[in-house]
Amino acid sequence: MVYALIGILIGATIGFLLPYTYNTAYTLYISVAILACLDSVFGGIRANLENKFNTKIFISGFFGNAILAAFLAYIGDRLGFPLYYAAIFTFGSRLFDNFARIRRLWLFKEKPAKTEK
Amino acid sequence: MKKNNPKLTITLFSVLVGVLLASQMKLNVELLTPVTVKSILDAKKEIVSVRNEIDELEKIALEREAKLETLESINTGDANIIDILEADVNDNITKAGYSTLKGPGIEIIMYDNIGDNIGFNFNDYIIHDVDIMNIINDLRVAGAEAISINDQRIIATSEIKCGGPIIRVNGKSIGTPFVIKVIGDPQMLMAAVSAPGTYGDTLMKIYGIGLQPYIKDQVDVPGYSGPFQFNYAKPMEEGE
Repeated sequence: MVYALIGILIGATIGFLLPYTYNTAYTLYISVAILACLDSVFGGIRANLENKFNTKIFISGFFGNAILAAFLAYIGDRLGFPLYYAAIFTFGSRLFDNFARIRRLWLFKEKPAKTEK
Repeated sequence: MKKNNPKLTITLFSVLVGVLLASQMKLNVELLTPVTVKSILDAKKEIVSVRNEIDELEKIALEREAKLETLESINTGDANIIDILEADVNDNITKAGYSTLKGPGIEIIMYDNIGDNIGFNFNDYIIHDVDIMNIINDLRVAGAEAISINDQRIIATSEIKCGGPIIRVNGKSIGTPFVIKVIGDPQMLMAAVSAPGTYGDTLMKIYGIGLQPYIKDQVDVPGYSGPFQFNYAKPMEEGE
């Protein structure tokens, strides 16, 4: 949790310092993708706490979810129907689910001691 | 470093999320409001009104094209330029209000409250310039094409002014009873002065002022005969 926050802060600093920007037309897709990525990160933290972390699953989920979410948003735009709601609801609720699990794991110290490597 | 270090992996990818977040924030996009049924309907209305505008502009374009054709026919010798210019002048005279017009419309007779006692303020009993102005505005909203008060034609520069017991229109003093003649769609004009809630209805029902509208198949509205001159206004050159 803490290292994820630190990572996001570092990334944000880098992002603000980098001169690159993208076309504003893509903001919707990027924001949905960000939501999916955030969900993946939370999922990763939770898996780590539960000692079930698998790098392959994490990376594939990270990129796969982001791409799928952005793709849904794009298709929705083409069809004139806000399909990205599906991504927002799914990833939004999963985000809170993951966070709830992380809280419980943290607060009640259910995690096995050997998680700390 | 171990290959499957979860913390490192998560941190690295968090950095990626952070970069994305920051670049998104840098763009400063305005809030994307979700599409609701109402916003769709609003957009539809806007589209309809824009389309109407386009239709009107197309009509104007057609008119202009017809005009161009007549002008071209002058060039080829099919039409006489004097005839066309005379027709144009007559048209403009009519539009400016200098010619007597006839057509279906209504006639309204207005007179001061003579019967009922409704209060102590005598101002409530008589017709004022504002009353006439409001009635005339209502008639114009209803599509009146020509209006006269006691045979004084209302043109673009006509004033309606309080002059004590009389009112002044086009510089002439006129007194009660006022006879307002209007050419236009009779039903619409009737509704504009006598439908419940209109200014005319209020005058009649609350202030007891006499207001009698009649539908007429033919109303003669006299033309304006006074001087008309612009001292300050000058036409703007095309493309200025």
